[in-house]
Amino acid sequence: MSEPATSGPATSGYISSTGEPEPHGYSVEVPPLEHRPTLDELKERKARTRQNVETTGEILTVSMGPQHPSTHGVYRAVLDLDGEVVVDIRPEIGNLHRGVEKLSEERTYHQIIPITDRLDYLSSFAMNHGYCEAVEKLMGVEVPARARYIRTITSELCRLSNHIMWLGVHIMDLGTQTFFCICFRDREYILDLLEMLTGARLTHSFCRIGGVAKDLPDGFAHKCRKVVEFLPKRVAEYERIVKQNRIYYRRAKNVGIFTSEDCFAWRVTGPPLRAAGVVRDLRKDEPYAAYDEVNFDVAVEYNADVYDRFLVRMKEIRESCKIIEQCLDNLPDGPFLAKDSVHTMQLKKNVMRDAGAMIHDFYQVFHGPDAPKGEVYRATEVPKGEFGVYIRSDGGTKPARIHFTTPSFYHGQVLPAMARGEMLADVVAIFASIDVVLGDCDR
Amino acid sequence: MGITGSALVNPFDRGIQATGEDSLGGPVRLPGGFAMPVQIERILGFGRSFSFWPLLFGLACCAIEMMALGGSRFDMSRFGMEAMRASPRQADGMIVAGWCSTKMAPRVVRLYEQIPDPKWVLAMGSCAISGNIWDTYGVVQGVDSLIPVDVYVPGCPPRPEALWQGLEMIRDRIKQSRHAYDGLRRIPARDALTGGTGEA
Amino acid sequence: MISLEAIKERLEGQFGSRLLDRADFRDEVTYAVAPGDWMEVLSFCRDDPQMAFDQLDCLVGDHLPERAAAPFQVVAHLVSHTHGQRLRIKTALAEDPTLPTVTNLWPSAGFDEREAWEMLGIAFEGHPDLRRLLTTEDFEGYPLRKDFPLRGTIGGRIRTELKGKI
Repeated sequence: MSEPATSGPATSGYISSTGEPEPHGYSVEVPPLEHRPTLDELKERKARTRQNVETTGEILTVSMGPQHPSTHGVYRAVLDLDGEVVVDIRPEIGNLHRGVEKLSEERTYHQIIPITDRLDYLSSFAMNHGYCEAVEKLMGVEVPARARYIRTITSELCRLSNHIMWLGVHIMDLGTQTFFCICFRDREYILDLLEMLTGARLTHSFCRIGGVAKDLPDGFAHKCRKVVEFLPKRVAEYERIVKQNRIYYRRAKNVGIFTSEDCFAWRVTGPPLRAAGVVRDLRKDEPYAAYDEVNFDVAVEYNADVYDRFLVRMKEIRESCKIIEQCLDNLPDGPFLAKDSVHTMQLKKNVMRDAGAMIHDFYQVFHGPDAPKGEVYRATEVPKGEFGVYIRSDGGTKPARIHFTTPSFYHGQVLPAMARGEMLADVVAIFASIDVVLGDCDR
Repeated sequence: MGITGSALVNPFDRGIQATGEDSLGGPVRLPGGFAMPVQIERILGFGRSFSFWPLLFGLACCAIEMMALGGSRFDMSRFGMEAMRASPRQADGMIVAGWCSTKMAPRVVRLYEQIPDPKWVLAMGSCAISGNIWDTYGVVQGVDSLIPVDVYVPGCPPRPEALWQGLEMIRDRIKQSRHAYDGLRRIPARDALTGGTGEA
Repeated sequence: MISLEAIKERLEGQFGSRLLDRADFRDEVTYAVAPGDWMEVLSFCRDDPQMAFDQLDCLVGDHLPERAAAPFQVVAHLVSHTHGQRLRIKTALAEDPTLPTVTNLWPSAGFDEREAWEMLGIAFEGHPDLRRLLTTEDFEGYPLRKDFPLRGTIGGRIRTELKGKI
């Protein structure tokens, strides 16, 4: 842990002001806060915190979900229990399956944008953005600077809204209703911004191939600045409530340890991967939009447990605020949509005035953008992890095959490996900590 | 399950068509031929309308807006509806928030049937109403082909205010003791199995 | 850190003419291999220290009915965290496609292969749990094949068989 947990009042928390954890009733000794465990130490700790599942006792099979309040939708997990120890989990997904890929094959590239909204509906714009990046890579469209900055701002707003919502639901799963209300109070401010910008609270469909749909509205920058100024203070408040809460600490610390090796093998990406000490963020590693023009740190923690996944997300909120502020400061002038009549839509205000624009608009709407033959894969960092879009194009205006590599799909798969040997009550905490959204998972 | 069978007459399942009385009047028949006066039922409905507990049943995007309605800004608890029950046995009704996939369809019917009478259903969002853009092999084209729906709230997703209005409309129906299965008295999913005879 | 060029050289030096095809498009490289070499190439990509592709980003099945001899293909996207590179390897499959599983190399392929099996009918030999993943148990047909109708084969509003389920 890079930041000592001594900022709160010394008497209120589980961690005392000296940084030493409370020893009573906790069988696993907690290393000093500044210590960064190596991979071997983590493996050893993982083996120590997990119960032995090779038991001969009677196995009780419990079906959790799809109608269960803490499965975040309609995930179903069939748990094999030996007493209170989870011996095995058989995940069942597909309860929200609707054939996104099949449907996308029958739509033009413009028409797929609203479909990507509904993959991860908690961070719709990030999904739009990832898809548009892939299509732009396929078509070779250059995005104007202003559009890249607006995309960055909106993506980060989505990240803020997603993480705050995640926090509220995660803590609610662990038993606190009040904190849910605190988080939803703050989330509404971000949704107000998104609504001001895109006109919708959840499903934005704001990204376009080659830019964004609209310019920033008047007064947006001012409002946005106010929100990103007070959000870090709110995060401090969350941390004051959650980070040093003895119940949360005991339920989250050293629970669901998943080392970096495991993460690679199971394709766990995003905050759970960074909580395992891996400095991996596609915003840095394979930069897109304006991420290579702003300064921010990759949020990393080292203990690979539920608690550190919470810390990573809190750090990410702070970093997102920094990114948005920098983007607002450096927002360049210019067009917000590429002037590329073969691949992009026309500005609506021109369509009714300019015959050429009208012809191009007609072409785009009824025919679609022409793509070259080839296949591309583009991965972007959405709030839940790495979102990849694979497009195989045979030419023409529709993809021959499109595949959405969504993070929740793999995070839904990983629950057995992450929770085998843990207690039944920890399954809820672990499942919440990897942030699965079923619309994203089932496609 | 539920509403078929004549020996045990549900006092709130008033059988409008059978008695020929209008949907607002007419006595409630209890077992043994006792008829509950309309006024008493009105009083019951009035009381019930201020403690409508929906089933905590979120499917997709609309469920997030449903949670937002329960959150701080919109604050559903002002109207006695914040106690969302995760068990259908404790709920008064159901908000179908999101698209209903073919895999989920039997479970939606089962959850509906497990809610004790009287019960009300609100279809939230275009997906629950008609399937929306998901005209595919995997999505039921409107949840009213499975269960009787009282109130439809359009939108993709509807704003929390719209859901709130829908819940107010449900409340009006509760006060009048009207259900979607008044006069219909059958579950469409079971009708689809039996070819409309209602005997499932 | 090793450049993509070095990775190409290493892979081509190892397998030579067994790599059937190479496509470079938008700074991405795609190799086509025969189904018989699938396992060997992917194991090499994972285990060789100069390759070190420790993560399988996704494994996608595909249907190309216009390619009559080999209408199916499986595409694997690999990521190397050590070198920060991506690689795409694909293989073409004939009718009744089968392929050895890669779940022993990357456990994350489990869901991917189940999805490819149910959506396209590509069987993966040795997969520990090859069941339907996203659709109902009684679903008939392979939805992502190009001849499958978008609205399914059952039609109507419910689009599934409820008999015996409710």
